[in-house]
Amino acid sequence: MTAGPSPGAPLLRVSNLRRSYGGVHAVDGASFEVRPGTITGLIGPNGAGKSTAIGMIAGAIVPSDGIIEFAERQVTRDPAYQMARRGLTRTFQLSSEFAKLTVLENLLIGAPGQRGESLWGALLGKRYWRRQERALVEQARDLLGRFAMTEKEEEYAGNLSGGQKRLVEIMRALMARPRLLLLDEPMAGVNPTLAGRIAGYLEELRDGGLTMLMVEHELAHVDRLCNPVIVMAQGKVLAEGTMAELRARRDVVDAYLVG
Amino acid sequence: MSTAYQFYISSLLIYFGVDILACWGLNLQIGVAGIINFAFVLFQAAGAYTAAVLTLGPAVSPANGGFQSYIGGANLPFPLSLLAAALVGALLSLVVGVIALRRLRADYLALVMLVVSQIAVNVVQNQNNLFNGSAGLSLVPEPLTDVVHLAPLSLAYQWFYAGLTAVICLIVYFFVHQITGSPLGRALRAIRDNEQAAAACGKNVFLLRMIAFVVGGAIAAISGAMLVLFIGTWAPSAWLYPETFVLLGAVVIGGGGNNFGVMVGALLVPVAFLEAPRYLPAIPGHPELIEPLEWIITALLMLLFLWFRPEGIFPERRRRFPRSAPARDLGGPV
Repeated sequence: MTAGPSPGAPLLRVSNLRRSYGGVHAVDGASFEVRPGTITGLIGPNGAGKSTAIGMIAGAIVPSDGIIEFAERQVTRDPAYQMARRGLTRTFQLSSEFAKLTVLENLLIGAPGQRGESLWGALLGKRYWRRQERALVEQARDLLGRFAMTEKEEEYAGNLSGGQKRLVEIMRALMARPRLLLLDEPMAGVNPTLAGRIAGYLEELRDGGLTMLMVEHELAHVDRLCNPVIVMAQGKVLAEGTMAELRARRDVVDAYLVG
Repeated sequence: MSTAYQFYISSLLIYFGVDILACWGLNLQIGVAGIINFAFVLFQAAGAYTAAVLTLGPAVSPANGGFQSYIGGANLPFPLSLLAAALVGALLSLVVGVIALRRLRADYLALVMLVVSQIAVNVVQNQNNLFNGSAGLSLVPEPLTDVVHLAPLSLAYQWFYAGLTAVICLIVYFFVHQITGSPLGRALRAIRDNEQAAAACGKNVFLLRMIAFVVGGAIAAISGAMLVLFIGTWAPSAWLYPETFVLLGAVVIGGGGNNFGVMVGALLVPVAFLEAPRYLPAIPGHPELIEPLEWIITALLMLLFLWFRPEGIFPERRRRFPRSAPARDLGGPV
């Protein structure tokens, strides 16, 4: 079952977004919206500008032009850490775990606004931040349980398999209790069994009310999870609709086949 | 124990303490936060010069029999000279950090720091009015002699100063431990492992790295101040850029990210390795080979460790979080 688009204002609105590298227009005037409660898919051939768009929305890449609005607020050019604190978290295309931190520590990093993270907070000592830390550890252990990763709690994240690292990244992004989760190919390089499990988790999260914007290459996953789906090609938005609608469109098929 | 031997041991302990301080500072930057600061010794020197000129008193002009020229001479009593040194180290780190840490990636930063270190030596060597040029400062009075009623340079004072160094070590350890054991330390380690991901987790990477850089710089300055107040002299030859690599060797071999390991590293590299050759038989006909050999051994050991045991003798501690007692969780009868 796929959820229909919910009513109400879009959670994310991207208008005429551009990013050029020298003469190359990685993203060339892309506009789209993400409505609350959806998993919005972002697909397109290699080099279509999907990851660059995600990077700009997350604040990691500075747009050359265009406007990004998140929760009805202009956030264009705001740095990544501010976006995360506003409730927009992400995963990366390449696994980006904190290799020499344990799985549990990786999750704890995901929580913004920690009392012991300032110099004074740290110097004031455990008594100042212990209570919050305990609550966060509890929250992290809940997530580990939900994602069947409890046994890996004390493992260094660098020692995990590719698929497990993906899970850690998703859990880490969830620690911030985000309003919008950006997923950049969350199933890439993951064995089919685990990929299926990840898809299941994402459905659960959506049913729990979390909004997601997901770049994915494997169309079977997109079919199962995403509605609506946005197609990008050569830095522009080519089409938008359900997967079934898109399959019927000649230009979309051409873009994929011809690249 | 003979008096000479006691002099030797107490001096070694003081050097050990100074090196421990420096290694903790460097470890906070490199081992914990991943900031490759090849100019570390510059911040140590900043502390040393500050403590020296603030203890030496106002400079006396050559016409009146003065033999060294420097700026900012004053007669500050001991803890104040040390605090001033820490403050100068922190401020210098702040300035260098704001310029270097904002944009540069790790490898570029390392190169820039190397150059900064070299530039600073050149400036101090050639500006004779700053800190007496290449000749450096000397006859810095030993602190607190009148308070503890001990003669300067006496054996009793040596032991007193060793104890004083130990106290400073304890205080600095408290600060370092509070940081590395806190969520702040965790965030710094996360930045070290993956800067971009840390930013995506809401961490202000620049600010957090600045904290590690400035606190590390202040600790470096404290180590320099403790050293100069003991040996009484400080010149550019004491803080050429290779000195940073001795401390770096201690951090790498002892175990980056582990405060205890780094302490062992401080004993092994700067103290043992640079002292041990004293006891080696002289190489017939080539007495000058001893010093290059020290460097070669230090460098080789560092390479071997980076190759075969990059985590050092005492690897970074794996953090475990205790589980709350299950009986209480279930809320059942106890």
